[in-house]
Amino acid sequence: MSGQRDHFLAKSLESLQENIRRSGPAATASYTLVGAVLFLGGIGYLLDQWLMTSPWFLLGGLLLGMVVGFYEIAKAVWKR
Amino acid sequence: MPDEGSESVGFNPGEVIIEHVSNSSIDHPIFELPTVLGINFSVTKHVLMLWIVAVLLFVLITWSTRKYLKQDRPIPTGFMNALEAVVQFIRDSIVLPNVGKKFVNTWTPLILTFFFFIVTANAFGLIPMFEVLGVVDRFILHTDPESILNRVLHGGATATGNYNVTAALALITFLAIIVAGTKAHGFIQHWKNVVPSGLAWPVYIMLIPIELMGMLVKPFALTMRLAANMMGGHIAILAILSFVFIFSEMFQSVLAGVGVGLVVSLPLVVGVSALEIIIVLVQAYVFTLLTAVFIGMAINVHH
Repeated sequence: MSGQRDHFLAKSLESLQENIRRSGPAATASYTLVGAVLFLGGIGYLLDQWLMTSPWFLLGGLLLGMVVGFYEIAKAVWKR
Repeated sequence: MPDEGSESVGFNPGEVIIEHVSNSSIDHPIFELPTVLGINFSVTKHVLMLWIVAVLLFVLITWSTRKYLKQDRPIPTGFMNALEAVVQFIRDSIVLPNVGKKFVNTWTPLILTFFFFIVTANAFGLIPMFEVLGVVDRFILHTDPESILNRVLHGGATATGNYNVTAALALITFLAIIVAGTKAHGFIQHWKNVVPSGLAWPVYIMLIPIELMGMLVKPFALTMRLAANMMGGHIAILAILSFVFIFSEMFQSVLAGVGVGLVVSLPLVVGVSALEIIIVLVQAYVFTLLTAVFIGMAINVHH
């Protein structure tokens, strides 16, 4: 019984691992999209605060973030 | 310690929750250290947690490995057995498929360190040791508000729930990617590999800045994911627990609060805590996996 359970557990772990491994690039790309928009938008916001040019750097940063994020997604999708 | 808010005139859940997940204030550090080059080195609670985790891991892993190496039998037992299984799992199914055979032994130590450090720091945040200490202090010890024990009680205990900690970890990943690429292809070739080769030159004007920004965004995403995940679970637990105080205030009766606590909050908190245990493992796994993927991308270039 215990052997069977070990087997079942090992199999579930293996398939979880395989799924996470395969979803790795996709997860990276999706997080990169969000991360890029937040990161570059944040830099734009700070530049706006510093140079008193609200809202231009923020808008530019958000747009640039989308470009970078989608570029990373495209790279992940069309890799193979 | 959720019973803090009940004493004040009005219970402010937001304030209490933020105080419990954020680091303790640098103005009241646990240990005062001098300021060097404008950086205050005083130890706050998250720094203390980092030290505890680092020392514990160093002692535990060094001790058990040395003990294992000294024994005659080649079969590990007890803790070493578990340790070996984890080490082998990370080497064979995280590092090897991503980094490749040639560099697996170069990068496994770094990725193992990441995994053990993150998983331990995450797990320590789940143990309510400071909350228990707070209850003991409040009802038994009654220490002075300026004592070290009392200073320890303020702020969260999950060091990986602090963006500065995860940013430092992601910075190591960022540097590791550059070192990995440089080791595999040489310094200049690594930077050439950043963009695909053989395109018309006008494309490069657009592509190079985008790729460089993509390089910065990857560690940023790592930073945000780990810290936000570790903080989110704690905020959820505290928000559910604050129902007790919100309801006792609303109905002006402790019984109403305790009733809501027993019927709603307690089962929910048990559920969320169970989820948190999974998150602790999954986030450590994801961080190490993505580090391995990024290092592998710098070594095995597919353009």
